[in-house]
Amino acid sequence: MSHAVTLEWRDGRSATVEVREGETVVDATERANLGVPYGCLYGACATCTGRLLDGTLVHVDRPNGLKPKHRQAGYVLLCVAEPRSDCRIEVGAEIQADLVPNPWK
Amino acid sequence: MLSPTMSTDEPSETAEQHGHEHHGVEGPGYPTPAAMRTESEREKTAFVMALRVGMDVDGPDFVGVVDVDPNSDTYAELIDTVEMPNKGDELHHFGWNTCSSSCHAEGLTRDHLIVPGQRSSRIHIIDASDPRSPSIEKVIEPEAVFEHDLSAPHTVHCVPGGKIVISMLGDADGGLPGGFLQLDQDDFSIDGHWEVDRGDMEMNYDYWYQPRHDVMISTEWAAPETYYPGFDLDDVEAGKYGDSIHIWDWETKEHRQTLSFGEEGLIPLEVRMPHNPEETEGYVGAALSSNIIRFWEGDDGVWDWETVIDVEDRDHPDWDMPVPGLVTDTLLSLDDQYLFFSNWLHGDVRMYDVSDTGTPRLVDQCWVGGNFGERREVGGHEVRGAPQMLQLSRDGKRLYWTTSLFSTWDNQFYPEMGEKGSLMMKADVYPDEGRLELDEDFVVDFGDAPGGPARAHEIRWPGGDCTSDVWQ
Repeated sequence: MSHAVTLEWRDGRSATVEVREGETVVDATERANLGVPYGCLYGACATCTGRLLDGTLVHVDRPNGLKPKHRQAGYVLLCVAEPRSDCRIEVGAEIQADLVPNPWK
Repeated sequence: MLSPTMSTDEPSETAEQHGHEHHGVEGPGYPTPAAMRTESEREKTAFVMALRVGMDVDGPDFVGVVDVDPNSDTYAELIDTVEMPNKGDELHHFGWNTCSSSCHAEGLTRDHLIVPGQRSSRIHIIDASDPRSPSIEKVIEPEAVFEHDLSAPHTVHCVPGGKIVISMLGDADGGLPGGFLQLDQDDFSIDGHWEVDRGDMEMNYDYWYQPRHDVMISTEWAAPETYYPGFDLDDVEAGKYGDSIHIWDWETKEHRQTLSFGEEGLIPLEVRMPHNPEETEGYVGAALSSNIIRFWEGDDGVWDWETVIDVEDRDHPDWDMPVPGLVTDTLLSLDDQYLFFSNWLHGDVRMYDVSDTGTPRLVDQCWVGGNFGERREVGGHEVRGAPQMLQLSRDGKRLYWTTSLFSTWDNQFYPEMGEKGSLMMKADVYPDEGRLELDEDFVVDFGDAPGGPARAHEIRWPGGDCTSDVWQ
């Protein structure tokens, strides 16, 4: 069954997309022309990083681009993620930048 | 007799008709590095990789054409863009279907660019026979690359024998080992792996080859799944970043020797060997250690190395730890006299006289942007990032660069580029005087690109350049 996934950008923008059965969040956001960033599409590069705020989302392929600490903090890779309930997810290019800060500053 | 002018900005049928009469075979490129330096015309246009991956600009990456002809009305402007058919590629490095290494091969024309997506593993073949209006001819989809258990294409060189070899940084899952993917020049189909035996090589990045001496040298970044998401010091401590280069037998395609640098050579990225095909030495820039390491073949055929330039870390009032230069790109002039490299975190480009190859001599440097450059604005444009990818004119008199490194790494060190894109800039070089000077009249702000800001990356000239061409 499909689930309603609400996307929230840090600039205050938001949008809701129906993610169909067997569809990743990125598949759905592309279908709806929502412009959520992505790169490799197989869970390695973390360009599509989002943060799960509410709901149940599962990775259907290994999210190798995330470290355990990121997963514990709610970060998800939307190119390999499917919702199992209605969800709220923080999205946008800035979310990836949370993962790895400047190591020397 | 040599033809007096060889335009490099005309469709390729006429682009390299120069000075080949003497050996009776009309191949692509130039018979010697000196011929390329002295007999080619000034560059008129540049191909520049431009990317939108990881930005909130909902568009694909593109190949940009920048007008670099000062006599043109559109000088220092982006005059054409070829958008990729998909989003998320991260265009990065690219190369030609053929170059001076096939100078004596009849029937080959330098008219196609091989443009890989670093993140997508998609490979685009661009018809560049009209340098002002390139177009996509073929796309090799990621699945066709993954079939060979390879991903993350990086350096592209054409190689003698009608082939193209691309260094691949990962396996099909973005892990290790990487390898090399070989394409056919005729139809750009995938042949398979180039290498026959990769020995203990696991990580890959850049490579250079010197066919007369039957040698290829490859370098190391990390597994794609390690460097893709960003630079984490924990990964360095865990040994997930490279510190070695690999010596290969070019003919048998077998791994011969590993040179491990340890702390002195962490993250050895760009490798350059002299354009003179007689030479059996070269330089590699170790980005994290911020050293230039020279390597050479000894009389016994065993390769050795030493650090010849050590960029000192600098203290910055806003940083907790000393800031490394981060030597991200290096380049040798066609006459092999000058070595240029960028310190992406400091914000300078350095110029060394390397005519005594083991004792480089700093002759000049240019500061702009970065964390220490005093120039924060050029020609009314704020400088985002710092000098990074370099390209020198064939005559050695103009050095161009762009300021972005890699989308996720930009986000850590110069986050403003993720919003506003990066720049292309230029310095005038005076090789006879050993100096360079920023040209404040040349700034191409990719923040103003049609369709939204983009990050500019590698630069190449129609007709070949210092980092594309190898001689047999």
